[in-house]
Amino acid sequence: MIGITALVPAEVIYSCGEAALDLNNFVPTSKLEPEDKLCAWTAIWRELVLRGEVSIDRLVVVAGGDCYNALVEGEKIELAGKPTHYFTYPFDGNAGAMKEQLEALADFLGGIRDEAFGEVAELKKLALEVHEMRCSGEVGAEQGFLIEVSGSDLMGSLEKYRSAIEEVEETEVDYEYRVALLGIPPIYPDFHAFLQELGMHVVFDEMPFEFIRHTGKSLGEVAGSYAGYTFAGHISRRLRFLESQLKRHRVDAVIHFQQFACHHKLEDRLLRDFLHEKLGYPYITIEADLPSPTPQQARLRLEAFAERLGEVV
Amino acid sequence: MLIGLDVGSRAAKAAYRLEDGYEYRVVSSHSWEDLLRGREGVVISTGYFRKRVPHDFNVTEITTAIYGVRHFIRRRVDVIVDIGGQDMKVIDVERNDFVMNDKCSAGTGAFLEYIASYFALDVAELARLHRSARCAAPINSTCSVFAQSEVVSRLVEGYTKEEVIRGIHYAFARKIARMVPRHARSVALIGGTAKNAGVVEALSEVLGVRVHVPGEPQVVNAVGAVEYYLAREGER
Repeated sequence: MIGITALVPAEVIYSCGEAALDLNNFVPTSKLEPEDKLCAWTAIWRELVLRGEVSIDRLVVVAGGDCYNALVEGEKIELAGKPTHYFTYPFDGNAGAMKEQLEALADFLGGIRDEAFGEVAELKKLALEVHEMRCSGEVGAEQGFLIEVSGSDLMGSLEKYRSAIEEVEETEVDYEYRVALLGIPPIYPDFHAFLQELGMHVVFDEMPFEFIRHTGKSLGEVAGSYAGYTFAGHISRRLRFLESQLKRHRVDAVIHFQQFACHHKLEDRLLRDFLHEKLGYPYITIEADLPSPTPQQARLRLEAFAERLGEVV
Repeated sequence: MLIGLDVGSRAAKAAYRLEDGYEYRVVSSHSWEDLLRGREGVVISTGYFRKRVPHDFNVTEITTAIYGVRHFIRRRVDVIVDIGGQDMKVIDVERNDFVMNDKCSAGTGAFLEYIASYFALDVAELARLHRSARCAAPINSTCSVFAQSEVVSRLVEGYTKEEVIRGIHYAFARKIARMVPRHARSVALIGGTAKNAGVVEALSEVLGVRVHVPGEPQVVNAVGAVEYYLAREGER
């Protein structure tokens, strides 16, 4: 089992005959209180691996273009004896550089043996269909989020992921506002359900949508696709992408979710200036630290946000 | 009778709507039940505990602040600053936006209580000492921990207690001002801390705009809860 710490092309991992396990998926429900902590996400998965509470054979850390806390936590795990590879997204979105990264990743995993590119691409196409149903109010945000966020590791098994998609239940979502959730996924496991209670249907989860958007039927195609992973590149590219997606998803309001001690927090001002000041989207920033049910202060702010939307939307 | 019930982190406030206006009462938040004893009517709750107390309707204190300020200050304000016991909200009425400081005590009533307790004073005495200071001691930090070390340093340097308190009020005002949007031309200050004339003076000066304080700043949200209810009923 290959542990991953952010978006690592699962197409390559499965094509090398291995399975992926996104360590972040253990964090929102964890009760662990990590020592030596900046970001709760990275500190908790580091502790889970070091304590043997999550079992992996090797680790692939996204060390460039996304999370720099993860780089150091990966080094701690490597120094404790776990074979670790450092994966880097090219900041300029260069597909050639991306392909070199994928080749290095494949080498670390023992080389491509049993190409799974086609099957993963098909699964992600199915996940995108679930996404479209979510957009049209036929799938709840909580269920849609689970399918999309699981696009990073495909639930550790292509069969399991296929079953999960097939088991998605069609429903009729009752909502007042269409909301985009930007930034890192919420560390509060009840967050989507709480927003739904307030009549806010999350139709666009920025990072989870990226997890299912990128794929390809060959190493070259995968490289070309992941080179366009906007969360890891220059902010201007991301802002352009968000502008088009918010329009396409007919979004009424934006929630920017950020994490204490995460460098992405510094992007809040840029996102707010562009999306709120320039494009006019109602905008709220929620900052979290440790995993827990959504705290009262955040609930109050979101409830007030929904009330204010009632006056403007 | 319509009863606006605002149960916050430190104080519980009630506004009882009478034929000729409002009657108010303020108690500790733990004694909120006293506010309903012997009173019958429609309860519209707000504040952190709005869903934990008996109510017919509930609404957040961001919305009640807007309706409450409209009731008390019969002129247009661009921004409302609500200094609560444990948080501070800046509501941009013009742009229908708001920000909150709920992560630490900087810019909240708890910060001033902490400073008052350091000087063994009641928080209500801070304004009097502010007035009698000849200048404001330079204080940069509004973090409770760092501010105390700055307070000690200024006292050691020879500043008086009054000058340090005045300096604290200016540091407090600068903290709030960083959250107030630049376009604000008129600001309303609500919450119990608005009774502190030192804070009002410092905030007016730092922002460079007139700061309006309603006659009863602590009960604005309780009144706003009733006013919100009336506006919604009127729409129906």
